[in-house]
Amino acid sequence: MAVYKVSYVVIGSNHPGGIANSDHRPFVGEQIQMGDITFEIVEVFDLMPSRGEFHYIHATCRATPTPSIPGSAKNDLSVKTP
Amino acid sequence: MIDLKEILKKVELFDGLTDAELDEMAKICQEKRIHRREVIAKQGEPGNNFFIVTEGFVEVLLEEPRRVVVNLGPGQLIGEMAVVDQGPRSATVEAVTEPTVVQAISRTDFEALCERNTHIGYVVVRNIAADLSFKLRHRHLSER
Repeated sequence: MAVYKVSYVVIGSNHPGGIANSDHRPFVGEQIQMGDITFEIVEVFDLMPSRGEFHYIHATCRATPTPSIPGSAKNDLSVKTP
Repeated sequence: MIDLKEILKKVELFDGLTDAELDEMAKICQEKRIHRREVIAKQGEPGNNFFIVTEGFVEVLLEEPRRVVVNLGPGQLIGEMAVVDQGPRSATVEAVTEPTVVQAISRTDFEALCERNTHIGYVVVRNIAADLSFKLRHRHLSER
């Protein structure tokens, strides 16, 4: 039951990013959905040492200029932006 | 209660508690279903509860000028500063998904439980400190 607490920081826009638990470790190239915007993860590293089943991860993201590729890995965070 | 305990097991706040202690925590949790754009906490107002997001997302906003500082999703803690410093809400929190589900915990109930079981108090307050540290690190990285 590993739990990944992820800090998503967005570069290249004023989107505030977010923090959410994930059931898997994020990876470079993964696409995530926040509101109407799709982001691609460009950097991942451990933010703090793991403790038990909990892992503390940082993911840097940037908005993808093109629509997501069907069949590609995509994690819908379902963040709605105003 | 079993389902709620399974949810709480995946929340960092309760990491380190025994099953019996999780049962005690579950007894003081109150589920609230929040509609999109409903305010959960208002900046400047007194805070007597803290919350765990179990479904959906919330925005943490600062007023004047109104701006979103972070989105918080499943497993995340909101309103915890009211437990630590008993001060007014430092930010406004609004639900941004329909529905958003949170578990609300009364500060009074939490403090009473900690008085009865100091191990729960130690573990949960340690985890609150770790959560605040994580949020600070996130903030620092946002300003790189």
